[in-house]
Amino acid sequence: MKNTQYLKIAILACAASVVISACNNTPTTTTTEKPSPVASTPPAASNEMVGMKHGDKKININGAILSELDKLEAKLGVPALSNKIQASRPYKTPEELVSKKVIDQAQYDQIKDLVTIEDVVLTGLDKDADYMVKLGLMKGHLYVAKELLDLNKPKDAEPHIGHPVEEIYTDVADQLNERKVKEFKTTLIALDDLVKAGAKEMPKVTTNLKESLQSIDTAIAALPETQRKNPAFVLRVINGLLDTANSEYGAAISDGKFKAAIEYQDSRGFITYADQLYQGIAATMAKDSPDAHKIIVENMKQLKTAWPAAIPPASPVKTPPEVGKLITAIEQSTQKVITVASK
Amino acid sequence: MSNLDRLHHPLLHRRQLLKYGLAGLGLTTATLAWQGLKSQSKARIPVVPANSPMMGNTFSPMQTLRDFDYGTVKQENGRTVREFQLVAGNTTLQLNTAVSFNSWNYNNRVPGPTLRAKAGELIRVSFLNRAGHAHTMHFHGFHPAAMDGIKPIRNGTGTIYELEAEPYGLHLYHCHVSPVTRHIGKGLFGMLIIDPPQPRPVADEIVLVMGGYDTNDDGKNELYAFNGVPDYYMMNPIEIYQHQLIRLYVLNTIEIDPAVTFHLHANMFDVYPTGMTLKPSHTSDVITMGTAERHILEFKFKYPGQFMFHPHQDLIAEHGCMGAFNVISAT
Repeated sequence: MKNTQYLKIAILACAASVVISACNNTPTTTTTEKPSPVASTPPAASNEMVGMKHGDKKININGAILSELDKLEAKLGVPALSNKIQASRPYKTPEELVSKKVIDQAQYDQIKDLVTIEDVVLTGLDKDADYMVKLGLMKGHLYVAKELLDLNKPKDAEPHIGHPVEEIYTDVADQLNERKVKEFKTTLIALDDLVKAGAKEMPKVTTNLKESLQSIDTAIAALPETQRKNPAFVLRVINGLLDTANSEYGAAISDGKFKAAIEYQDSRGFITYADQLYQGIAATMAKDSPDAHKIIVENMKQLKTAWPAAIPPASPVKTPPEVGKLITAIEQSTQKVITVASK
Repeated sequence: MSNLDRLHHPLLHRRQLLKYGLAGLGLTTATLAWQGLKSQSKARIPVVPANSPMMGNTFSPMQTLRDFDYGTVKQENGRTVREFQLVAGNTTLQLNTAVSFNSWNYNNRVPGPTLRAKAGELIRVSFLNRAGHAHTMHFHGFHPAAMDGIKPIRNGTGTIYELEAEPYGLHLYHCHVSPVTRHIGKGLFGMLIIDPPQPRPVADEIVLVMGGYDTNDDGKNELYAFNGVPDYYMMNPIEIYQHQLIRLYVLNTIEIDPAVTFHLHANMFDVYPTGMTLKPSHTSDVITMGTAERHILEFKFKYPGQFMFHPHQDLIAEHGCMGAFNVISAT
């Protein structure tokens, strides 16, 4: 058997888009067998993980954001077609646009060369954004770890020092290699060992933490500077961080109380770094996209109040839906900048 | 036929009836024997009400018992492929009236769906992570290194796992991101059943997965459960029929505590270790399972009434890992 990872299955494409409708559906559990008489074609093979975005030529009907789908809407002149396409996700084949009665056969024939359900191997910008999100998550973890160490709470800091190695490093290792970045797993593990042992030698911990953060910065610097300063690129990274922060904030609270401090702190770290990244492009944004800038700054300001300190407040300042709403507002206002840039 | 079957079945076995000759037996016995024959083709399973209690959760453990996900079946190059879709997410579990728990899980339920395939088929799982932390799906069974589910899949991304359905038996899948204890303890686990090429005898098949909850991140489990919700089957006993062959798929996913037993009241069960045999290895009423160990257990109840099951680590049982069968009279 050839063991490749296929990028075809529809649901994965949902990962691509911020505006997800299909992925919110509870996946179906089929208890009846439905043998298909037609042998399906072998999907395109790739060793890459499915990443943030999709191909730039064909429109991925499973993952495309509304403004991309608008191209189809404009071509066919069907009002609200973009929303209809989103509502009927996921698609296993492009032809399902017809069988799911989103459009008719004649309409489909007009756009069939423009649409796809397959994801492509991450390249260029997509791959870079994916890379930087991972490194950004690492930084977020270490930011909050540092805060907790400064509060003399090494035990609370430990999970956040563990996460970059446990959750992220192996996922980014191939890309670090490709980009000829010196490995820093050893540094991260050494720091984790120190903190697990009780962080008794604080100067050593401080030095090692600084070194770890520097290593991540070096890895980020492997990206061209023009890119790191490009608002469209940075906003995509920010969205990746905010989306993760959103999920983790929700996982910290139940019954209106903080039950899992770790997830509160994770999300705090991601927000801190996302905010820091935005400061870097704020001047450009204010000049080039003043409307989006205003919305982002205002929502970010409100968002940050949900994380008043490294230790969770007695009761949440904002509920998970409130945080979700602010994050969605930011993500929506970034879409215009991102889409315009990708044209 | 095992000794156990004979012990528990009040009727003579079909073959014996044939041997003795139906003519020599009374009409009543003949009728019962006919029912016995009939039960060979279909198991007697009480109707489970569709509105079984959820107790504040996104799923009902009553539905979990006999809910097998056979996936979407496709034929590719003359081979049966089963495609499954799993999404990691976060939901709040209502463990009891006082305790809620931020769970991480597959498809909004704990345990995740019971995936089921037949030996020799190809299993293809599309996995999407929408749970914040990086997660994976690591399957027990034979597969190449690339499919081992070790590489973290970060939030908002997905991957596809493709594996041969082998070997047949009772297996499991779980997240393998470190600290695994926390990822499993939060609820990222489920059962994988690979049926043997020749189907097992017809039975009322029931899934029981044991799990532990460290509700305050103190490195100790405060609550335990069969199929996600503590004490659910004490409050809602599982209905089964007297004399009906029951096949339990039992899996221990309790982290932190090294091992637990599974004990069934007023009965003995046949043990099929790791579900990897077609003949039982032995018979007992208690079996020890370390974390991730699992077995198929088969039995019939001789008497109607309510019978408990639980680990014989009674403190663990008394913290939620306890349930009961309500055996309904066959007549």
